[in-house]
Amino acid sequence: MTRFPILLDIYQRGDGPLKRVERISLPEAGDYAIGRSSENQIVLDTPEISKRHAWLLVRDDGIAVSDRGSTNRTYIGDTEVDTSPWDGALPIRIAQFEIHLVPQTAAGAAATKVNVPQDNATRALASGPATGAPSPAPRGQSIEVALNAPNAPDEMRFPRNVFKNEIVSAEELKSSEYFVGEITYLSVGAGLGSFVWADHLRIFGVAKSDIRAIGDDIIPYANYQRLCRNSQIPPHERLRSNSISTPDNIWGFPGYASRETWKELKEFRFTGLKHIFQVFGEASLTQSFTPRSGEVFKSIDSEAQRIGWREMFVSGRVLGIRKTNDERYAVAYRVPEDQARGGVRERIMIGKFLHVATGYPATRFTDDLQAFKARFPEEARVFNAYENHEVVYRTAEQNKMPVTVVVRGRGIVASRIIQRLYEARKKNSGITIVHQMRNPIGAQEGYRYKRAQRYVYNHIENQAFNWPKACWGGQILREVERATPEERAKIYEAIGGTTTADRRDWRNIIQLGIGDGWYKPVFGHFETLELVKTDQGPKIQMKLKAQGSQPAAEVVADFVVDCTGLIGDISHSPCLRDLVETYRLPRNPAVSGAKVGGITVTPDYEITALRNGTGRAYAAGQITLGGPQPAVDSFLGLQYAALRSVDHLGILGAPNVSLFGPLRSFSQWIKWCTNATP
Amino acid sequence: MLPTLKGRWLTRILLFLWIGVPITFIFSLLVAGPRSPSLPFAGWHYDILPFQILSLLLLVGLILDPVYIYFQQFRWERDWPFAFQFFFSIVEFVIVLALVWWGVLDFTRPASQLHTSENYLLFTIHFACVFIPSFTALLGFVQIFMIRWRFKGGEWGRM
Ligand SMILES: Cc1cc2nc3c(=O)[nH]c(=O)nc-3n(C[C@H](O)[C@H](O)[C@H](O)COP(=O)(O)OP(=O)(O)OC[C@H]3O[C@@H](n4cnc5c(N)ncnc54)[C@H](O)[C@@H]3O)c2cc1C
Repeated sequence: MTRFPILLDIYQRGDGPLKRVERISLPEAGDYAIGRSSENQIVLDTPEISKRHAWLLVRDDGIAVSDRGSTNRTYIGDTEVDTSPWDGALPIRIAQFEIHLVPQTAAGAAATKVNVPQDNATRALASGPATGAPSPAPRGQSIEVALNAPNAPDEMRFPRNVFKNEIVSAEELKSSEYFVGEITYLSVGAGLGSFVWADHLRIFGVAKSDIRAIGDDIIPYANYQRLCRNSQIPPHERLRSNSISTPDNIWGFPGYASRETWKELKEFRFTGLKHIFQVFGEASLTQSFTPRSGEVFKSIDSEAQRIGWREMFVSGRVLGIRKTNDERYAVAYRVPEDQARGGVRERIMIGKFLHVATGYPATRFTDDLQAFKARFPEEARVFNAYENHEVVYRTAEQNKMPVTVVVRGRGIVASRIIQRLYEARKKNSGITIVHQMRNPIGAQEGYRYKRAQRYVYNHIENQAFNWPKACWGGQILREVERATPEERAKIYEAIGGTTTADRRDWRNIIQLGIGDGWYKPVFGHFETLELVKTDQGPKIQMKLKAQGSQPAAEVVADFVVDCTGLIGDISHSPCLRDLVETYRLPRNPAVSGAKVGGITVTPDYEITALRNGTGRAYAAGQITLGGPQPAVDSFLGLQYAALRSVDHLGILGAPNVSLFGPLRSFSQWIKWCTNATP
Repeated sequence: MLPTLKGRWLTRILLFLWIGVPITFIFSLLVAGPRSPSLPFAGWHYDILPFQILSLLLLVGLILDPVYIYFQQFRWERDWPFAFQFFFSIVEFVIVLALVWWGVLDFTRPASQLHTSENYLLFTIHFACVFIPSFTALLGFVQIFMIRWRFKGGEWGRM
């Protein structure tokens, strides 16, 4: 039962900690619209908020939140939501705002002044600064939180108003106001997975006018670049993929190593030959070569230009996908406000061959950190490594006092964060790193698969890339492709797990840190996470449970950076969840810490459950995790998936997809070299 | 490289056919020819000795491939670095030389015509002429023609 009035605290994230900007009170059940424009009931007037952003559906038996196809979307905690019940345990997050439900006992409802404007036009501020005055909005930005009277409910939201059945009528869609066109090859996501798929199609013979990719950003690596930047991989830092993982070149030749060497040789720098030598001795005699992220991005820009990506890209967020009654697929999407040019923002495109590559559905926060964030929303102290957490380094570097940072997780991102903190130590030698890992790993306890064992150093498993190399095209790929689902699960268990790259500089940093005492590994789960007041201000207190031979421990830290990863669970994406539920798509067994596996695909990356007569649907990337290829979320894995599915289309006789024999391959490669359109 | 056993075999045969055979043919014309001008082939003599060496190389390689695969099992990455490939190619050639030395080709011609230091030098030059382009092909040129090859552990054909 909901007790009225409901109190909501609205916080805003600035550069530092969250600040409370308003407390509002909802007097009765109803549908409260949240958005930028004044017709909303809860007006959050900043550009990042869409005009009509979301609904807060307040009923006598509970509250729900529902996104209205906003540009920056709506989250509960870290999970993007379409429509979802909200119990207030985690805040609603909208752009830089967080909406927290004030516990009713704590709030002392009577003490809060309730201010309900009777008509929309007044747009009076509904604030009640009775319990602690809200902090003023950061200067230079006008934040207005207004509460207006509730509206009539909006039952028929797009695309549910047109996607009523599992199979929708193409004629009906075509006569609707939403219909914009038909296309042969249609990809959803427009990230790197879509890009390499379109690249293969173009090179195999398809014209750019027959391909469309719908997504958030015209730059195919935009999402990837953001994740890299946040996890401290700037353009000059090296990535974790090898020379022949070339999203800009379907042949993998010339690889990034020879290109880098060539570039340096042209400037008479002979040190460049080292890259060739790295590839030559890779994994055994030398550290593996990995390209700089900036170089990879530049190469993708140039290939995008060559294949005409600009003309193939369609800006929009996909909301739903349905089979049509004429053996095709209808994709419903909403274009951003600024691109609608006055027209309807809701659109439908129909495609014959569908491709879904939407990447990671969400960033992951481990439960205790989620809880901490919800309890102390104003404390900018715990971060996911994939979100912007520059404040950690800035504070650590500027501080004159000791700063303790807990780095959670033992993967590649953790290594990079530790390196970044090591660099910060040059400005503040009082920085201590507490590296929290689930359990210690002895030198002989690395994962085993068949006759081989993974190398362990400093309790961290080392591996050149995120899977053993033969997952990309050798024996292991073979074994996984041919295995039954049960055998597959076993193989995944044997080769999975978190690893880091075997980089000498990283090992040296840890060696140095252990020697000088500023790096401490701790093992186990945090039992409690509390905010404690110390002479040096508030800190996070963490208690670790005793575990086996590990004694219980206590850590008092300034920051926690969670490097345990991104969530691959597709139910975090409303559009995929709807697709999976509507067509009851089979799922792979869970692997690599994920709770459920990805969408089941064939070795040709077809989602067979979506087959629609002669229409075909394919998937690629993280959303297919646990299937016929382990390394689905990697450049080369995406290229392999693209090659398999485009080859499959070729065999099916899809329009203009050639069989790509040696001669065509060679002539297309020459075109690539001369930067001619395919 | 990420070879499978079948991939090793097929790649070896591929390189034999597309690089080994044509180069050996030219090599035989250019180098082996002038030494016995008595037989006419536009004034040149054609000797199949380099082909015999090439075939021996192929044979030794095909026999050693399962051994390499066996050792590959112990590598966590289940890969075969280019450096290994380079090194073992030379080992294979040394084995071939030793076999010739021991007399496996003695049935083809009189020993006096076979076991000359000049011949052994020619074998080495011939090997270099075949090995360098073959190895370069592995570094990337095969992929230009056979885009699926690198994902199939070195096997040819479609997916
Ligand atoms: C920090 C980091 C480093 C990595 N480093 C490497 C590396 O060095 N080498 C390597 O091989 N791999 C690396 N990877 C893995 C992988 O190559 C990348 O994650 C790659 O970007 C995956 O491509 P994708 O197309 O699957 O996803 P993305 O590139 O993320 O593209 C998916 C796109 O779909 C869009 N989208 C999602 N839902 C919808 C919707 N409903 N409607 C419209 N659009 C939608 C998203 O906005 C996004 O732009 C790394 C990953 C991370 C996170």
